[in-house]
Amino acid sequence: MILLQLIYSGIALGMIYAVIAFGYQLTFATSGTLNFGQGEALMLGALVGLTLVGLGVNYWLMIPIVCVFGFIQGAVVERIAVRPAIKTRSEFGWIMATIALGIIFRNVAENVWGRDDLPFPSPLPVAPVQIAGANVLPMEMLVVVGALAMMLLVELFNRKSIHGKAFVATSNDRDAAGLMGINTGLVITFSYALSSLTASFAGVLIAPLTLTGATMGAVLGLKAFAVAIIGGLSSGTGVVVGGLILGIAETTTGFYLSTGYKDVPGLVLLLLVLAFKPAGLFGKTAIKKV
Amino acid sequence: MNHRIKLLVGALALACMGNAHAADPIKIGVSGPYTGGSSSMGVSMRDGVRLAAEEINKSGGVLGRQLVLIERDDEAKNERGVQIAQELINKEQVAAVVGYINTGVALASQRFFQDAKIPVFNNVATGSVITHQFKAPENPDNYVFRNAAHDSIQAPMIVEEAVVRSGFKKVAILADSTNYGQLGREDLEKALAAKGVKAVATEKFNIKDVDMTAQLLKSKEAGAQAVLTYGIGPELAQIANGMAKLGWKVPIVGSWTLSMANYIDNAGANGSGARMPQTFIQEPNTPKRKAFIDAYLAKFKPKNNRIDSPVSAAQGYDSIYLLAAAITQANSTEGPKVRAALEDLQKPVEGVVMTYDKPFTHDDHDAITANLVVFGEVKDGRVVYAYPDDLKATAQPRKKDSAASAAASK
Repeated sequence: MILLQLIYSGIALGMIYAVIAFGYQLTFATSGTLNFGQGEALMLGALVGLTLVGLGVNYWLMIPIVCVFGFIQGAVVERIAVRPAIKTRSEFGWIMATIALGIIFRNVAENVWGRDDLPFPSPLPVAPVQIAGANVLPMEMLVVVGALAMMLLVELFNRKSIHGKAFVATSNDRDAAGLMGINTGLVITFSYALSSLTASFAGVLIAPLTLTGATMGAVLGLKAFAVAIIGGLSSGTGVVVGGLILGIAETTTGFYLSTGYKDVPGLVLLLLVLAFKPAGLFGKTAIKKV
Repeated sequence: MNHRIKLLVGALALACMGNAHAADPIKIGVSGPYTGGSSSMGVSMRDGVRLAAEEINKSGGVLGRQLVLIERDDEAKNERGVQIAQELINKEQVAAVVGYINTGVALASQRFFQDAKIPVFNNVATGSVITHQFKAPENPDNYVFRNAAHDSIQAPMIVEEAVVRSGFKKVAILADSTNYGQLGREDLEKALAAKGVKAVATEKFNIKDVDMTAQLLKSKEAGAQAVLTYGIGPELAQIANGMAKLGWKVPIVGSWTLSMANYIDNAGANGSGARMPQTFIQEPNTPKRKAFIDAYLAKFKPKNNRIDSPVSAAQGYDSIYLLAAAITQANSTEGPKVRAALEDLQKPVEGVVMTYDKPFTHDDHDAITANLVVFGEVKDGRVVYAYPDDLKATAQPRKKDSAASAAASK
């Protein structure tokens, strides 16, 4: 029963990581670049959501508005930070550029919303529900369901729609896709927009569980990055499994080993994955020609 | 070349001094976190300080000079605190500094004031070592003063409340991984040992942790009847919320930070009933306190007429009056003279926490003793007296118990 409780909490925590990691994976697929401001996109989503709820907007109605905001924010990041780096074929420019934008976003948020942590009103009852003898918060279930639903939607979009096919084509071979008449630049912008959308969606989803504030994204973004590496940057299933592994590892080590070493096993796992399966547990090993 | 610059600077300095007249303002540095997780303490402290300075300035200032506050946000970061300390000393040339909310920041920053022989007045930070950082014989004079209930007062009180008064023999300690949490945990363990009790679980958490399941389950499985905490608002709220999630309801007794607004607001109903030692509770049970609370609410208009951190506001307010009294008595703003005056205050200073009658001596720089601290309880979104008797007792004039502080320093 204790183990079950730990696993439940681990799953909820892991899905939070996974949904952010999913965003990393989206942009990596199309352009081989990552948005290191993913944690900040999440934070902005949560804070914009909080403001909307404060203005009297219903929680469920607020979600699509925040998603639109995230979509635009992601497109802006791509245009300002990533596009120039890709254009000049700069190998690492996008790393600093996305980190820089992330810091700018955090500073803006600090000035707009202050640096204090704020409570986010929960749309669901806060009383825990018992499932098989262990407690779960309704909000935690919503995080798991919401995250899975969103990832499924994005996958469906990629597989079924014509735009999605352009997406997949770009991710397989950008140059070839470009020669086939696909506007790969637009596809990459779109992938960034989509990745920020998932992050801001994650933000409003988890905000009632965590506290909301300008610094909430930093730790989560980093953990999610570890998840993306563990699961594999090219696999949607990978981030879910990676997230669950890290989440459950954290809660169980906290209990069975020591709460002082809670963060260690996940990072040890990260090192092991890098050493033995650098493409991630579910990643495809690509041979890079030099 | 170098020599010439020195001459130039010297000449400039002389010119400035020549221009200075008697009514030059007295600069007081105010350092604290006005943003971030500790900000409810920092902002309340700053507002208390502002209120006191304004009142003093209205009635003619100190030595006929106005007090000017040089406020800096240390963001609860040690390195920011150090930068600010150097700026306050070298650029602003303050006469004294008040503030420090975070034990780590205080320990990192106050050495610069000690070296510059400028008094530091800690009005919130509670780490026991703060006033002992520069002890004799290595340091003949200590420039660090404090009017906050330090951890070696709080920890035994927390243990007294949980183990003796409530009769819980099995308690768990949950402390954060900062200087504050870990020093507090040591104090708690010491106080528990004095009662012959050992915590059934001692758990750690990090700032910004969003999941406390492991820590709480461990405490629960170990059979803890109460949770003793040492942390700050946001994470303490996560503890209370995590307990609700596990359906585990035991009392939370912890350090005074359980009175922070961001604990009370973020934990909501889950946080109700938490108890913590307090030097000041927003309850107008004396005329002086009523005047202070009314003035504060009128000037700063906090949400729901609740001071975010009443303890910080009151101690911040008192610290300025103590400092003003010392400067008046020393008839100077020179550090060593002000320090000497603080250590030998001739006239009692009436503050909102208590009447400071010889609050400091050369070897004792802590104004607050255990007899001045009462238990607060979170109820309906604010902190109230946990024991109605305390409400009456604190309405009486209170003084420092010198015997207790002598015993504590042994």
